[in-house]
Amino acid sequence: MHSIYSFVTGPLAWLAFIVFIGGSAFRFYSLYSLARKKDALVFEYMNLKFALRSIGHWLTPFGTRNMNLNPAMTVVTFAFHICLFLVPLFVFAHVIMWKESFNISWFTLPGVLADLMTLVVIFSCGFFLYRRIMLPEVRYLTTAVDYLILFIVAAPFITGFWVYHQWAGFPTMTILHILSGEIMLVAIPFTKLFHMFLFPFTRGYMGSEFGSVRMAKDW
Amino acid sequence: MKIRPRTFKIVAMIFAISLISFAAWCNDCMDIDADVFENNKRPFVCFSHDDHNDNAGIEDCAVCHHVYEDGKLVADETSEDSTCSECHAVEGDSKQMALIARYHDRCRGCHLERKSGPVTCGECHKK
Ligand code: HEC
Ligand code: HEC
Ligand code: HEC
Ligand code: HEC
Repeated sequence: MHSIYSFVTGPLAWLAFIVFIGGSAFRFYSLYSLARKKDALVFEYMNLKFALRSIGHWLTPFGTRNMNLNPAMTVVTFAFHICLFLVPLFVFAHVIMWKESFNISWFTLPGVLADLMTLVVIFSCGFFLYRRIMLPEVRYLTTAVDYLILFIVAAPFITGFWVYHQWAGFPTMTILHILSGEIMLVAIPFTKLFHMFLFPFTRGYMGSEFGSVRMAKDW
Repeated sequence: MKIRPRTFKIVAMIFAISLISFAAWCNDCMDIDADVFENNKRPFVCFSHDDHNDNAGIEDCAVCHHVYEDGKLVADETSEDSTCSECHAVEGDSKQMALIARYHDRCRGCHLERKSGPVTCGECHKK
């Protein structure tokens, strides 16, 4: 138990962060060189104004036609992404470990709020799963990897909730919690979770092409 | 003065309840720096000072109650008459992050080193 704890919070944590950062840099580099080689026009079309205009719309709740067509999906998606980011960055138990390891600390969420936001993430994942299984048009596009990614994202939140409430076997669950977080970090550069970094560019390109070439809105 | 049975019953009840709750409260746990931590985020750690140190075989009080001079640990001197917070609570640190980190460093640090004793949050901050 102690050796495993030391391992997952020590060397393995370093490895996860290095793969996350290094892998992301590598993905950016290889996508950039691929675009330069295969489709250099992408860079010609890029237009900051149209890019930001499109990104702005897509980051505004109900700021696009598509979002208005699927209000439930819109509400869940926004709530999900907000909680997905805020909880790991600002939950007390994480911040105190930054303080212990690097002597830096910042704002922390009240426990009750972090608890509720965790539930939002878990239920959102349930909603996404339901959608993938129940809606024919989504099921048609779904592969096994999509389910796996959904599981990778939900796991740190389910285990974290478990540990916080000290349910049965929580010390072992703490190890699984740490591991699942590390798996998610490592998965980000190499799966479609990479959209967390890529979306400004894909969206920005769409906005640019629609704005300056097709003279149309893309929202 | 005559004591009415009803008054007696009420007083006896109050006495019994206080006794029971006192007995429940008065275990060996020591509330470490209890007055420093307000609005507790976690349950207090049940630290049974003497039993803990006996079980862990810690004889040197300075392992925890240390004294520093010019940034150097002074051997054979102890500071058990001061609370940890007297030296480690940083002014303006309303959340006591610095002090908490000291406790975690000292307590969890040794448990990991000796591969014995609690290391996850809930094992120390038991509900
Ligand atoms: C594992 C760490 C540890 C060791 C070893 C240790 N103590 Fe303590 N002791 C504590 C902590 C923590 C407190 C609470 C301090 C506080 O509230 O800031 C404490 C408090 C005390 C107090 C204050 C008692 C009270 O009720 O407030 C005394 C006296 C004391 N220790 C004596 C000793 C002596 C003597 C030894 C050596 C035989 C010793 N301690 C070894 C951790 C330790
Ligand atoms: C008389 C003041 C004083 C008291 C009381 C005191 N410390 Fe310290 N402590 C210091 C100083 C000075 C340092 C060294 C400088 C630094 O790291 O801030 C230090 C360092 C530390 C460190 C980091 C270095 C190391 O030894 O590993 C920890 C952890 C720590 N103290 C925990 C505690 C705990 C827990 C208590 C209460 C049981 C306590 N201290 C009581 C003054 C004190
Ligand atoms: C120098 C090493 C050392 C330090 C410092 C230390 N511990 Fe321990 N602790 C141990 C060991 C060893 C055990 C396991 C003892 C056993 O197996 O019975 C233990 C067990 C425990 C336990 C579970 C058993 C019990 O006594 O209830 C708790 C709780 C605990 N420690 C809390 C603390 C806290 C809180 C601190 C910091 C104030 C602390 N420990 C500092 C070595 C240490
Ligand atoms: C080895 C034991 C130990 C472990 C493991 C531990 N703590 Fe603590 N923690 C303490 C001690 C001792 C204190 C001093 C006050 C007390 O007794 O709660 C403390 C204080 C705190 C405080 C300040 C008091 C409060 O309730 O607001 C918080 C918050 C806290 N710890 C959170 C955590 C979190 C989160 C974790 C897991 C990441 C954790 N602790 C792991 C021993 C531990």
